[in-house]
Amino acid sequence: MTTETPRPSSSAAGEKTTAGARLFADYQVHPSCYDEMFRASGIPHDHCQELWKALDAMSRTDIKVMQERAERSFLHEGITFAVYGDESAQERIIPIDLLPRILDAGTWDFIERGLRQRIKALNLFLADVYGPARILTDGVLPGELVYSCPQYRIEMRGVEVPHGAYVSLCGTDIVRTHDGFMVLEDNLRVPSGVSYMLANRRALKASFRNLFRQHRVRGIEDYGLLLLQTLKELAPPDISNPCIVLLTPGVYNSAFYEHMFLAREMGIELVQGKDLLVHDGFVYMRTTGGLRRVDVIYRRVDDDFLDPLAFRPDSQLGVPGLFYAYRLGNVVIANAPGTGVADDKSVYPFVPDMIRYYLGEDPLLANVETHLCRQPEGLEYTLDNLEHLVVKMVGESGGYGMLVGPHATPDERAEYAREIRKDPSNFISQPTLDLSCAPCLTGDGVAPRHVDLRPFVLHGQNTRLVPGAFCRVALTPGSLVVNSSQGGGGKDFWVLSS
Amino acid sequence: MLSHNAQGLYWIGRYLERAEHGCRLLADQLEALQDRPVDDIDRMWRRLYASLKRSPAGGSLESNLSDEEFMLADSFTLADDLTFEPSNPGAIRNCVASARENARQVRNSIGKDMWYCLNTVHLELSGIGIGDIWNNQPGDFYSHTKDAIRTFSGAADSTMYRDCGWHFLQLGRFIERAQLLASLLDAQVSTFPTGEQQIESDWCSLLRVCEARFAYSRRHSLEYLPCNVIGFLVSDPLLSHSIRYSLAQITDALDAVSEEQPAMEASHLGGRMSAYIDYEWPGRDPEDDQATRHALQRIHETCCHLHDNIEATYFNYIIEDSPRS
Repeated sequence: MTTETPRPSSSAAGEKTTAGARLFADYQVHPSCYDEMFRASGIPHDHCQELWKALDAMSRTDIKVMQERAERSFLHEGITFAVYGDESAQERIIPIDLLPRILDAGTWDFIERGLRQRIKALNLFLADVYGPARILTDGVLPGELVYSCPQYRIEMRGVEVPHGAYVSLCGTDIVRTHDGFMVLEDNLRVPSGVSYMLANRRALKASFRNLFRQHRVRGIEDYGLLLLQTLKELAPPDISNPCIVLLTPGVYNSAFYEHMFLAREMGIELVQGKDLLVHDGFVYMRTTGGLRRVDVIYRRVDDDFLDPLAFRPDSQLGVPGLFYAYRLGNVVIANAPGTGVADDKSVYPFVPDMIRYYLGEDPLLANVETHLCRQPEGLEYTLDNLEHLVVKMVGESGGYGMLVGPHATPDERAEYAREIRKDPSNFISQPTLDLSCAPCLTGDGVAPRHVDLRPFVLHGQNTRLVPGAFCRVALTPGSLVVNSSQGGGGKDFWVLSS
Repeated sequence: MLSHNAQGLYWIGRYLERAEHGCRLLADQLEALQDRPVDDIDRMWRRLYASLKRSPAGGSLESNLSDEEFMLADSFTLADDLTFEPSNPGAIRNCVASARENARQVRNSIGKDMWYCLNTVHLELSGIGIGDIWNNQPGDFYSHTKDAIRTFSGAADSTMYRDCGWHFLQLGRFIERAQLLASLLDAQVSTFPTGEQQIESDWCSLLRVCEARFAYSRRHSLEYLPCNVIGFLVSDPLLSHSIRYSLAQITDALDAVSEEQPAMEASHLGGRMSAYIDYEWPGRDPEDDQATRHALQRIHETCCHLHDNIEATYFNYIIEDSPRS
């Protein structure tokens, strides 16, 4: 291992007391995982040199004060996340770690191209399965897999979708190992996290005023504008000034802060189901001046709850008749209903095949090796190797209902195996990945914690994305689960200008 | 404006006015604890509870007046009931929490500073109980909370776009103020009947609660005559905590929101009540407590009708009757 990289000059930091010791003085990289900042302990990657020097010159006390200030500002601003089933933590702040994760321009460019390729193929797939279904007749993926998927909405067959943009907003989970970047999951229904990406950036800008210009960090602040442009592109063409609203399930939804934040960023109304109604095939919102027609709905309500007449009849969150108005083309819903079939965990392994099939290209971003328990060989492999695998339930998200084999007790694995045998088609398994680590502030210094990345892609007439992402961190030592609902936190993610 | 948002702003106005009123009442009450005789303290509690149309959690206010220690200890319980009691929707902390919950739902209709003020006072109140403030200058607590609520009003005043949202906030604020004032004055007249020998400090304290002592002294010198005090708080058009001033603000706000959707009945109600105060109120017999109380109850009822009417016109209207655009 080369050691030509100079240590930061000790004069910058000086010899300090323990509390004021240099930030990375005791930092040891994780023995088996890729480190986002260091090639080896004490030796940063080239693109992290400057940041390392700047941060290392700060004392732990200084950074702790900044950290506390950032957390306080989150609390006061109400940047919170609700965890279901936890009454005491109805509103909890998403912990922020002040040390940014940093990526060079070339690597980001690669990820961006991979994401654009992926969303294009996924939209073509959705148009296909709700239309001629060529991919199924050509045997690229089994029709049974699609048609038996609970997220497949037969009601969407033959519906005209503007610009073929079934998925207008997508939040793709990307992880990095020593083998490079891999897509862990495509979130194509109502992905969340973008407000935390922007909030983390604001917090860092407030904390490290000078570092941004110095590092030529690319801006992400125009996300709201890009999202609004995308939604405008989806509006019926004969409407010059479309009325766009954001439909939220309400304050008790875990991501309510985000809904409010985005509506505010875009200057559009934040509505709940009870604010909307359908009359004569058109959607209206109830205003103080009477009913006003709505043209585009950016919905953050799941398919099931969108319209009690079309989907779950017991839904209190939706709008009766909304799907009827949608089928008539009188309103646009983004994302379109039924996109969940493309991010179903059993369909996921076929995304690389979709890319080859529709685009005739090799996928740029790899998938994680996945075993479908619905297939006999997949089931056998999963049960035989449970202690090495991560097993997920097909219909779950947010880290719920998941088994991390190596971290589970034999009893937990045996119990889980029984569940798998009961309904194999509801499970998939993947190898336990050595997720990359990034340095994070801990109670007694800085230590490596596992991270992932969720960039947000927008797709209307054009595809857009900001050079940034919500970087999620598993704050518990050794934990591989980064989901906010499972106690994960976030950190700012910097893409450097070339 | 989205009806739901207008409704949220309206309720923020109402809840914060209620919370601020509670702070002023309790600050005054606690001051009385320091030097007033036990009988006076008891009567003041009675006035306070009657004005809020509430009974204390423990039952009645009948206490052993011969036992000073008991009365003072009971004040602790009563102040807790009106400040922190979780089951009392009108307790100051609950009013702030309700205002904040409404604000959370309509955050894209209010400014960042407004949210920040409200969330901060909510967080401050969430973490404490009566025990934390009682032995450490409780008056300061109420005064600080009142200031925090006023900071919100100041932020609203200096940052809000003067569209419907602003006017609904004002509507909520002044309907609540008029209603609370009518109740308070009614309770005052019933607790301290004008025929009885008056203690000036009872009327001075009423003026203090209504932020009107200074203005009153300029208008009527330092003679705290009950009929002058009541008249001032009901009909003075320049006093921000008078019923007449509140009605003028309500009328202005209704005129502004009527541009979107006329609220004929509400405007008539407000106009009739203003005319009543301007022309009929001065003609009544100021010594006749029953007539005064009747007039104040009428004002209170009018505020309830105004509220129902605004609800039905702007928030929960019948779809078939509404215009479409």
